[in-house]
Amino acid sequence: MLFHTWVFFVFFLIVYPVYLVVRANNRLMNWWLMLASYVFYGWWWFATSHQKPEECWKNPYLLLLFGTSAIDYLMVLFMDRSRTQAMRRLWLIVSLVSNFGFLGYFKYSDFITTNLNALLATMGSSIELPNPVAYPNAVLAAVNAPSDWYFTHVVLPVGISFHTFQSMSYTIDAYRGTIQTERSFVRFLTFVSFFPQLVAGPIERASNLLPQLQRTPPIRRQDITDGLSLFLVGFFKKVALADYLGKYVDPIYASPERFDAPALILATVAFGWQIYFDFSGYTDMARGIARVMGFHLMLNFNNPYAATGLGDFWARWHISLSTWFKDYLYFPLGGSRHGPLLTYRNMFLTMVISGVWHGADWTFVIWGALHALGRCLTRELEQTVFYKERVPTLFKQAWVFVFVTFTWIFFRARGDTEYSSLEKAWLVISRIFTAAWTDPRCPLLMAGLVLAVWVYQLLYTSRLAMARVLEWSPVRVGLAVAMIAYLAIVAQPSTNAFIYFQF
Amino acid sequence: MDPKKSRHEPETSRPTLADEPDFSNSMRLTGAEWLVVGLFTLAMVLLAPSLWSRVEKFEIEPDYRIPHDLSNDYWLYDRYSRQAVAHYDTMLIGDSVIWGEYVTRQETLSHYLNEQTGEQRFANLGLDGVDPLALAGLVEHYARSVSGKNVILFCNLLWMSSPRRDYQDPEHFDSSHPRLIPQFSRRIAGYKEDYSYRIGALVEQRVPFNSWTSHLQAAYYNQTDIPSWTLEHPYENPVQPLTRPLPPSDNSLRHPPIPWFKSGIAKQDFPWIELETSLQWQAFRRTVDILQRRGNRVFVLVGPFNEHMLEPASLQRYLKMKSEIVNWLEEAKVPHHAPPALASDLYGDASHPLAAGYAELARQLKDCLP
Repeated sequence: MLFHTWVFFVFFLIVYPVYLVVRANNRLMNWWLMLASYVFYGWWWFATSHQKPEECWKNPYLLLLFGTSAIDYLMVLFMDRSRTQAMRRLWLIVSLVSNFGFLGYFKYSDFITTNLNALLATMGSSIELPNPVAYPNAVLAAVNAPSDWYFTHVVLPVGISFHTFQSMSYTIDAYRGTIQTERSFVRFLTFVSFFPQLVAGPIERASNLLPQLQRTPPIRRQDITDGLSLFLVGFFKKVALADYLGKYVDPIYASPERFDAPALILATVAFGWQIYFDFSGYTDMARGIARVMGFHLMLNFNNPYAATGLGDFWARWHISLSTWFKDYLYFPLGGSRHGPLLTYRNMFLTMVISGVWHGADWTFVIWGALHALGRCLTRELEQTVFYKERVPTLFKQAWVFVFVTFTWIFFRARGDTEYSSLEKAWLVISRIFTAAWTDPRCPLLMAGLVLAVWVYQLLYTSRLAMARVLEWSPVRVGLAVAMIAYLAIVAQPSTNAFIYFQF
Repeated sequence: MDPKKSRHEPETSRPTLADEPDFSNSMRLTGAEWLVVGLFTLAMVLLAPSLWSRVEKFEIEPDYRIPHDLSNDYWLYDRYSRQAVAHYDTMLIGDSVIWGEYVTRQETLSHYLNEQTGEQRFANLGLDGVDPLALAGLVEHYARSVSGKNVILFCNLLWMSSPRRDYQDPEHFDSSHPRLIPQFSRRIAGYKEDYSYRIGALVEQRVPFNSWTSHLQAAYYNQTDIPSWTLEHPYENPVQPLTRPLPPSDNSLRHPPIPWFKSGIAKQDFPWIELETSLQWQAFRRTVDILQRRGNRVFVLVGPFNEHMLEPASLQRYLKMKSEIVNWLEEAKVPHHAPPALASDLYGDASHPLAAGYAELARQLKDCLP
């Protein structure tokens, strides 16, 4: 279910009033939220079955969500009852293996199998690993299932990386003893599946969300108005900006060989904004929906294109994932405690793995590696007084933007029947430097909208006195009215999925 | 992430509720400000379409028919029907047979009726591709102004000639007007549109603002949304198209006006469907009911279908269906005319007459109209 569709509107019209009635009873509230969240998530299954009834049962969405949640819930209960640290560690390992196992199978098995087979072939080996669907199909064969039950490909459940990471953070924190064990199974299911942030974050921590689920969330007037404000901004980002930019970007990245340098450059810049508007729009809407229900979800984006360094960029972009990796990978690896060399190693590993988290393709590995390289190369520079005080802020913001935009080429490139993702990325880069300079046919309206948002963000994050004009009530009301009018009259109703759903 | 910074800080970056920054922009409106925004939005939704209709020049001329390219512009249809009701006393409602698929606007049924009666009484409210299911939606939501008038409602049996045309084929669904058909109230086997689209269609039928925005896109932006239009016209001012006049009445010939047998159309063996199970027939009856409940004097024109194009067995099934329809009209006391087929060379295809066919039909109709 997508926030910006009529289906969600109807869904929320049903869920919210009932929630307001039952929230005084914590048990009922959690049951209701869990039920609503499973309906929300199951809608993908329902929508698929509506189109292809014969395929519907093959979608493991709900079962997987329930299964991983149940395992993590049980493992923490077992940890709680364990008398030795070794046993606690064992239950943690079971939880991690199951989470990474599911994630690995559904998200990475195709990629791993393809690359291993290519490697084996290069080494002259006759061994060939079977298609990952062979494993469940072998089980089906063992029980004499009808042939049309067999899987043809691995289905990637929507948002699997988000809910497994959220669930894992609970088991790790429980192992570390930094949070209380959650006794209520229903509440834990609600924590993992909480519908506003289930499929694309923010990846909430148990320490933030579980306590909110343990009491009656207070809903003040400001929660309603803040929630509406967040939702409106997110809705505008997604429907008016991200989907519009996507119309320009998609055909160019589908066939970069047909476009010249200016169009490829502008499409790459446009994609940088598209993914920002798309993803931050989703999390704004998620936070807005949660807020009107009295829940506070963490800020996930903080004007990343106003960053003045790569470290600053990662403190502003997908904050919930950055901090997740920081807490559960970078620090356990040793963080910065064991000298510069190990610090850089830890940093590099963390960023490459963060790249792989986004997708099973070499382009995501390169994307993560480029950010790691950029961060390693500029880290010391960013700490100098010269960089902090002498280099103009706009210059710093510009270079970060250019670097980040360049890396988006790898993020956006998708393979097709003609090119692999890597070839596609290379094609874009090579054509940027070699192709002719022709009219990019970039709509002025699109450019104007992006420029307006950019100026707004730079102004908002600046310390200029004139930035206060943005706080002026008529300006804020005027902007809200303008956004609503644009959405109602200009933008087309959208049912485009969010880019990050595929992760 | 910043390892250097973390040397001096505890090794955690977990945000807490207390220090969570809430907003990354200044768009944080108070209750009073939301009230202002809400009032403005309400005013925009309620007033914009009617204000626009004062700005947008739209005057119907004799023999006006909706431009074919704007066949899905239901806001314009609604506006046209309101003007037609004010200028004419008889509305001709139906599909492309009424609209005039093989003829210019000076050769339609409404034109010949006006010509032969010597008065400007008949308005062409036909719309291409409106099957009875869509017609019921059109009449219910976009022709509300048609009340207390004479209505000639055209019944085109072509829509009941096969399970596919009757929307009973689960594999195929071809409708020119999916936003007019029942979205949830009736199960249409082949209709697999997304639920958000369906709810959006229901909202559009009931909120004129939504159909007005669709009108802007259809009439001024080549049937597309404005962002998509800017991709085709990247350096043009996107507001500029709104200053152009509405497309004029459609006077084009959609197809060469030649008899069906000269354009290579072979005889057909339409299977026809049973009337009692037909979705289209049920919808047609509903349309009659809607129009009558609004105080209209409904006169149904059945066919005339091109019987010359039917194989003998198909013809028998067609005649049976036609007689059942006539029986129902008589039982329901709905005035009607079910003429025999016109001469073969007066048809462009299975159901569309050529100009001479319309003239002939108008002659017949003039004599039997109450």
